[in-house]
Amino acid sequence: MRKTSTAAKVGMYFIHAILICIVFLPLVFAIVSSFRPLEDVFKYVSPISARTFFPERFTFGAYGRLFSEWRFGTVLWNSLVVVLATVVFGIVVNSLAGLAFAKFKFKGKAFLNVLVLVSFMIPFELISIPLYPIVLKWGWINTYWALIVPTIANGVVIFLYKQFFAAIPDNLIEASMMDGVSWWRIYTSIMMPLAKPVSISAGLILFMSQWESFLWPILVTRSMEFRTIQAALSDFQTEHATMWNDMFAATIIAFMIPVLIILPFQKYFVQGIATTGAKE
Amino acid sequence: MTRRNTLTPYLFLFPAMAGLLLFKFYPLLNGFVASFFADSFSTHSKIFVGLRNYVDALTSSIFLNSLWVTVLFNLIVNPLQIVLAMALAMFLVKEIRGKKVFRTIQIIPIVVSFPIACILWSIILNPEQGLVNSLLNLVRIPNQPFLTDRNQALWSIIGISTWKGVGYWAIFLIAGLQQISSSIYESAWIDGAHGWRTFWSITLPQMKQPLLFVVIADTVSNFLIFAPQYLITKGGPEKSTDFLMYEVFKNAYEYSNVGGAMAMMVILIVVVLAVIGLEGRLLRDSR
Repeated sequence: MRKTSTAAKVGMYFIHAILICIVFLPLVFAIVSSFRPLEDVFKYVSPISARTFFPERFTFGAYGRLFSEWRFGTVLWNSLVVVLATVVFGIVVNSLAGLAFAKFKFKGKAFLNVLVLVSFMIPFELISIPLYPIVLKWGWINTYWALIVPTIANGVVIFLYKQFFAAIPDNLIEASMMDGVSWWRIYTSIMMPLAKPVSISAGLILFMSQWESFLWPILVTRSMEFRTIQAALSDFQTEHATMWNDMFAATIIAFMIPVLIILPFQKYFVQGIATTGAKE
Repeated sequence: MTRRNTLTPYLFLFPAMAGLLLFKFYPLLNGFVASFFADSFSTHSKIFVGLRNYVDALTSSIFLNSLWVTVLFNLIVNPLQIVLAMALAMFLVKEIRGKKVFRTIQIIPIVVSFPIACILWSIILNPEQGLVNSLLNLVRIPNQPFLTDRNQALWSIIGISTWKGVGYWAIFLIAGLQQISSSIYESAWIDGAHGWRTFWSITLPQMKQPLLFVVIADTVSNFLIFAPQYLITKGGPEKSTDFLMYEVFKNAYEYSNVGGAMAMMVILIVVVLAVIGLEGRLLRDSR
């Protein structure tokens, strides 16, 4: 490897500094504004000074109002229930399918495999509109069912598990089969414990797909009672667009939750999405 | 492994396959069929209208405009995001103290969901009180209208989705770059190849696989863009950000023209498939 010269290093740090500013600009402004009283939010924006980025008067008022007036507690609870259910059921359902693809021979395997790969190409946003009348017919509007059930089966996650299970040597399974251990036991006590890193990646992918979904929650939750965080934010944007500090507080909460969940698992997340991309 | 035709694999597969069929393939098929029908107001039933929904869509100036807006947006945003993601990825694999921290920082926009990114940027791009305008004032550029002007709104959305997307696509490319063995580069240096030469003749050909994935996945997601027009612009000003997904949505839920919406969705799918087919061919044939 060639040595990097000092000038090149300074240049690199300079570029990093610019990139960091671009990434953080909206976030820092949002965080600072969320701690300001409403009349101060735009007061120091122009001309730019230190006061633009440091609140002169500091208050938790916006966060308080979110929970007392805007029923943000319900919204957070809904998001939590929906995300958790999607991740847990998604891991179980898709890993079982992955195991079947990796370790069994059966009729129709090639066809089902193609089905899984084609499902990669059908994003959920696209399906939202034709799916709506179906779910409506089932009476799932304004229920957790509509938010959770359609997001559980996930082609990418099946693919991840399939790749991992296929690499596990067969003799490990053969030995247990000799001892008369059932497939279900093999799945629960051998395969899944081995697959922990995959499960973390899979969980994060399922989490992100639910967290990012926007059109679907808007369509199927008409009442506030079942609104998740993204849909509630969109209501807020259309109905109370001038309550800037409250809105900033809401976006900061919606931003901090995935940060707290993802950053500790960053390595697995990156690995998970990278292997899906590299191996396709 | 040979477990012959037992019931077990089907039991294991059932929930996932039922989910995919019921919530992906069935609605898709349902929508396709619905695109050939129209609601009858008198009898509350569906009547078969053949290709009329398609003809109506393709002769409507509103639909054609939104098709053009969507294609134009993609013509700009996809190459832009991919070039920037590639540059960012190559920059982030460079050895430097604090590399891990810098990489984590670039991942942050990924966890800001797109609707939130839209809301935040729409406030910061405010024409009178926005932070970006006061930054521009620092370098003596007057206030810009951004999302409220028909010539700047599309570019503002391109900016927002690029801010949100580049870090995400860069992750895939970083993984690809790390798989290229350094011995290839070393032998190239010995042969006297540097800079752009190594990029064109080593890096790019080695990156074909991850690049193909990123190009296709990025295209699909950008063709289905929905949050910015729903949350901020409502398709305006003057229909300059009226993306196809928004027209599909409005036809289905505001105008109750479900058959028309489904015809538009099918056209959208055909366009996306044509574009990714073309991209795949171009990338595979190059070099």
